[in-house]
Amino acid sequence: MGKPRHVPTPAPAFWFGFEVAWAKLVVGRVVLFGLLALDALLAIRHAPRYGAGGFNVAQLPGLDGLGPTRLSYLTCELINALLFTFAALGVGTRLVVPLATAIYAWLYLGSHLDSYQHHYLVTLILLLASFVPWERPADATPATPIKSWALRLILVQLGILYFYAAISKFDPAWLDGRALGGQVFTPGAWFDLRGLVDHTIGIRAMAHVVVIVELALAAMVWIPQAWFIAAPLGILFHLGIVLSKLEIGLFAWLMIGIYAFVVPDRVWLWLADRALGRAVRTAIARLTNLLDRAPRAGAGHRRALVGAAAVLAGLGLAFMTRTDHALAVALALVPLPFLAAAAANRLALAGRIGAALFVTFGLWFAVDRLSDATTDYYKFWAGSSRRLGDLDAAEQAYRRLTTAAPRDGGAHFQLGRLLLARGDELDGMAELHEAEQLEPTRARAWLEEARFLETHQRHDAALAAAQTALKLEPNSPEAKALIATLTGQAAVKVKPGGAGDDE
Amino acid sequence: MTALSTVRRLEPARAIVSSAIALTRTWRGRFILAFIAVQLLLPLRYYLHPRDPHDERFAWRMFSPMRMSHCTPTFELDGKPVPMASTFHEAWYEIAQRGRFAVVEAMGASLCAQHPTSKVVVTLECTYIDREPQRYGGYDMCIVPEL
Repeated sequence: MGKPRHVPTPAPAFWFGFEVAWAKLVVGRVVLFGLLALDALLAIRHAPRYGAGGFNVAQLPGLDGLGPTRLSYLTCELINALLFTFAALGVGTRLVVPLATAIYAWLYLGSHLDSYQHHYLVTLILLLASFVPWERPADATPATPIKSWALRLILVQLGILYFYAAISKFDPAWLDGRALGGQVFTPGAWFDLRGLVDHTIGIRAMAHVVVIVELALAAMVWIPQAWFIAAPLGILFHLGIVLSKLEIGLFAWLMIGIYAFVVPDRVWLWLADRALGRAVRTAIARLTNLLDRAPRAGAGHRRALVGAAAVLAGLGLAFMTRTDHALAVALALVPLPFLAAAAANRLALAGRIGAALFVTFGLWFAVDRLSDATTDYYKFWAGSSRRLGDLDAAEQAYRRLTTAAPRDGGAHFQLGRLLLARGDELDGMAELHEAEQLEPTRARAWLEEARFLETHQRHDAALAAAQTALKLEPNSPEAKALIATLTGQAAVKVKPGGAGDDE
Repeated sequence: MTALSTVRRLEPARAIVSSAIALTRTWRGRFILAFIAVQLLLPLRYYLHPRDPHDERFAWRMFSPMRMSHCTPTFELDGKPVPMASTFHEAWYEIAQRGRFAVVEAMGASLCAQHPTSKVVVTLECTYIDREPQRYGGYDMCIVPEL
């Protein structure tokens, strides 16, 4: 009789026995990483504040000099948008999620400029998400159970967050409604939540409700048996935050997205079995087959062709994206996933990688064209550079802004002012004239022109420009004051650059 | 009977302890234990060792009454106000208006480094919804670098 084999102690089932349906995991993956990809691109508008003036304070002591700069922040957000898109599509998740986590953590911890608590939460969730098996197991059906201790830990982390959020509100200033009342102010919004609260339970009772809800979610969000209560409660709670205008960035939406993991499995299974769910699954199966599963002869060529076509189309979109350095970053990024796939001996994924690149660059293009992120980036970069005295950078930024948004009169106005201040009369006046054309009801470009002309001893032209300004804005105190000065009714010396400085 | 009921009452506690012990046997388990310990303990730093009451990072104090505080930082260089807009990016000034000591102190240190022979006086005046206004600093931060 041999020595009895060592039987390992069963791992705690609470952690290692935790499982969810594949349908839930895939929905959560698409929603969570899709939102993060979007958030990364929208965050690009904040890049100019990083490294501005050579000043930084890191979240961790001693790391001030290692914080991101405008360019590194911009580049990292573009890369993270790619990594999150790959993760959402389930491509190379074991590599892209940890990479995105490292970049995200550096951007967050590298500077106090990003002090949002939800970015701290995302950093933690990404760390844990690096251990979740996001990719589809062979022959998985919507009901296939997927074990993941990391997913359980994400939910426990949410419970800890709600617990401490409730603890922080055991404060007289919260419980009597002062803090909540001071932050929720929604008159004029499409849904006046504050008005609804004031006319029903009152702000004080609502403050108590918030604490009760947070405590309830702290207790339930990580327990599957309680999900049928926690999911609707949590989703309504965060929708309430959206309606209350307490929303910061995509925080409330991100929290709602995370609730994809809290919605009971049977809900996702039911949806997967409806006509729409079946249609989506069939479409995904066909696309997957086209991209990387065809077993017939010649399939390799077809995969390569599909991948190449997708990459080329994607690069076309990146070329049309106005985001700073988008094309350069795209060209640098394109070979990397193919090299990584080759290193892992998984070049059969070429078609899927090409498709993911196409979706990534499509998202860059869509966010650029459908949001103000790109133009805000150039405006903030130009404005802060000018205020901090870096006029070369300011001019470069305004020029890029006028290229990105040629119909933006404000951009031409600011560039014109800057060029005149730098002694470039020809280009400066041309930009002001462009602004006058694009802003036919605004006086500011005419006023700027008038001031410049007066300081260059062209009095009659200055007076004519000032009168045009007054005609456009008859109540403009600036125009009235300038005309009074030019006609000798007021003895104030004209100085260039007197117009608004808000862009 | 009493002993039996006592043992039964202790069952959940025993289960938790044995579960925690089991966790220490794998790297995943140790990671879980460390992660939860850090997440449970780190927010306590705000309550137990609050050098800066305005710094609510890592404590999950979203929308807290402290978030309603407003501070006015003033920086003087040899008795003259520092033009903040042309010295620091406005985002840093906004964080200083939230009273974040670490940032205000770093701004002071930066001014001291730029003007090594000057006196940099930093004052932070804060108002709150649940307490009396507070005034921090008011002295040369090149000599005393902390608020």
